[in-house]
Amino acid sequence: MTAATIAVDALLGLAVGVALLSSIGVLAMRDPYQRLHFITPPASLSALCVTLAIFIGEKQKQAGGKAALVAFLLYFMNAVVTHATARAHFVREKGSWPPPEPIEVVKESR
Amino acid sequence: MNAWILAAMGFALCLVPCALVALRARNVVDRLVALEMAAACESLALLVLAEGFERTIFFDLALSLALLSFGGGLVFARFLERWL
Repeated sequence: MTAATIAVDALLGLAVGVALLSSIGVLAMRDPYQRLHFITPPASLSALCVTLAIFIGEKQKQAGGKAALVAFLLYFMNAVVTHATARAHFVREKGSWPPPEPIEVVKESR
Repeated sequence: MNAWILAAMGFALCLVPCALVALRARNVVDRLVALEMAAACESLALLVLAEGFERTIFFDLALSLALLSFGGGLVFARFLERWL
């Protein structure tokens, strides 16, 4: 077992672990705002780990380039979709976007 | 069975919590979040499957899914915001 094989296995294990924990987080949370936070780890950390594993394990540059492109798309487009989804939920709850008046932040007294 | 196929099985396992949320959540935005999560996980599953089967052409499937899920998520969000 070479160092490259160990690195690939570790990166894949980390990627799958992060994705599994995040999907369990989506199941466990209560509302869409909380659930939206759990899409980011698979789209960023897992995608980065899989891309690194493909770069290490694959000899062809074309495969690594396509994997990097997929990771790039997941990373940047996830932010856009997450914002759009949160905005849709806000509009469904409050009726308009942007909010008609500043949202009051209530500080809890200790 | 190599590490890539095992990783693909792990990513496919991520679909189970997403399916539970998509099937059981009361709020429709919760279901959209589960759909977006499933799309991210499945893009990664297709990546590692392409590597596991050593077919470079399969990387295009992951690329297509990542692009189409982005467009689909945006359309769903806009639709839920305006009409549903």
